[in-house]
Amino acid sequence: MAAPTAATGTRVPPEQIGYLVAGPGRAAETALARLLDAGLVRVSRDGLVSAVHQTELGVSTAVETLILINLRRPARFDAVVRNAAKSTEMRTLHQQLRARRLTRDPRPRLAAWWVFLAIGVVLSLTAFLKPWTLLGAVGFLGAAYWTFGAKPLTRSGRTALKGVTASDRVLAVALEGFRGKVDRQQNVGDLFGLSQSVVKMLPRKRKKPVRRGGGGASDASCGGGCGSSSCGSSGSSCSSGSSSCGGGSSCGGGGGD
Amino acid sequence: MAGIKDLGVGIGWRSEIDLTVERLPGVDFVEVVAENLHIGHLPESVTLLLERGVPVLPHAVSLSLGGADEVDLHRVEHLGAVAEAVGAPMVSDHVCFVRAGGLDSGHLMPVPRTKDALDVLVANVKLAQRNLPVPLALENVAALLEWPDGELSEGQFLAELVERTDCWLLVDVANLYANARNIGTDPERFLDEIPLERLAYVHVAGGEQHGDIYHDTHAHAVLPEVLDVLDELCSRVAPPGVLLERDDNYPSDTEIASELAAIRAVVDKHRG
Repeated sequence: MAAPTAATGTRVPPEQIGYLVAGPGRAAETALARLLDAGLVRVSRDGLVSAVHQTELGVSTAVETLILINLRRPARFDAVVRNAAKSTEMRTLHQQLRARRLTRDPRPRLAAWWVFLAIGVVLSLTAFLKPWTLLGAVGFLGAAYWTFGAKPLTRSGRTALKGVTASDRVLAVALEGFRGKVDRQQNVGDLFGLSQSVVKMLPRKRKKPVRRGGGGASDASCGGGCGSSSCGSSGSSCSSGSSSCGGGSSCGGGGGD
Repeated sequence: MAGIKDLGVGIGWRSEIDLTVERLPGVDFVEVVAENLHIGHLPESVTLLLERGVPVLPHAVSLSLGGADEVDLHRVEHLGAVAEAVGAPMVSDHVCFVRAGGLDSGHLMPVPRTKDALDVLVANVKLAQRNLPVPLALENVAALLEWPDGELSEGQFLAELVERTDCWLLVDVANLYANARNIGTDPERFLDEIPLERLAYVHVAGGEQHGDIYHDTHAHAVLPEVLDVLDELCSRVAPPGVLLERDDNYPSDTEIASELAAIRAVVDKHRG
């Protein structure tokens, strides 16, 4: 698998792509997918995940390590994803993405953001006649910018996702989630031999994800899975209802930026 | 016994590895733990295997036929019902007791090898047989101790049990190996003494040495020494079937397939 290259020139591993696309839940799914792909865990028909006993572990990330440690006893498929999504290791991953400026703290958009904009524009125009209103114009335009909100994915984050395709089954999970589809036909779960009853243990994706702006590659990744919030805990936390495919994540559990 | 010949090489079906068992090449039959199955609600995987024509044999762990307590006929009926649900040609349990005085041991406890204990075992086995729709096979257990005042060797004990009840034998070569290591039983003498013509099939499993004790864990790789005991058995009789038991620390599909292949190699060596 050729891992995509971020704007910074560094490789973006599938787990991080999963985070950028749909948050910590998706990253947790991706880590589990990688372990399945490597033959380090197996899933039973009724969704029980167990570690494959072997002397040499082939884990590649802290989240994968955590999942394997937690699988000393078999656990339900959804619980594995949920616990990994809420873990300290996932928060560390989140911080790493922030440090690389691939994500940021999201701000919710206020419904009345345009009021600030309108007032700011009016004050800007009146500044030709009454220059002292310029100060107010700057203030209101600034408020408009702030209340417009911000998606968690930065420009660099969006660039990192450009051109990323489901070229293998782990990336398919990163982009679409286990519940998603590749090319709108192939169930991602089928790529791992997982029955629908197992993948449906994960929270259902949002039916109408809010789409904003051109998402480039991340738009593509929304084909079936964006917003599939696998963010773990019983659908709780895909926080910023803003979510969106356009920018990728808004699954907030880990802070969701 | 009609329908039990040539089972081939099989594996213990466990829910954790159901998909593995389904896709492993060369699984000729499987064994299920009867107590884990519910009549009317068979696991999808077991149903699938049955549809493929893979024989499914129920194996019980709780009849406690070697105990002085009265046999629990509900357990016997359940075992029989599982056998009918999966169309099994036979069922099995162990020569052991797991309950006494209202307490559950949690382990398969060896039976004292005395005439009195044999009388109790024979009576219980006959009662179970009367309440089962298919023949019953009984398995030798791994023992960490020998009761005092034994009057018969393990082989003699089982031979007399077969003669008096007409039951079948399920020989666990891993248990034979464990007993050889822990209490000095001679596997060759055991094989000399039991009626091999009443052999239903064979169990193979892995274990591990802890200090001075070899534990038949079913959670570790099968030792070459256990395959040597299988080899010794196969040199005397062609077993109708040989089954790999694995109950925990499941290895990769490849490793399980390798263990099955190793078992098949031993069996085929003597069929050649």
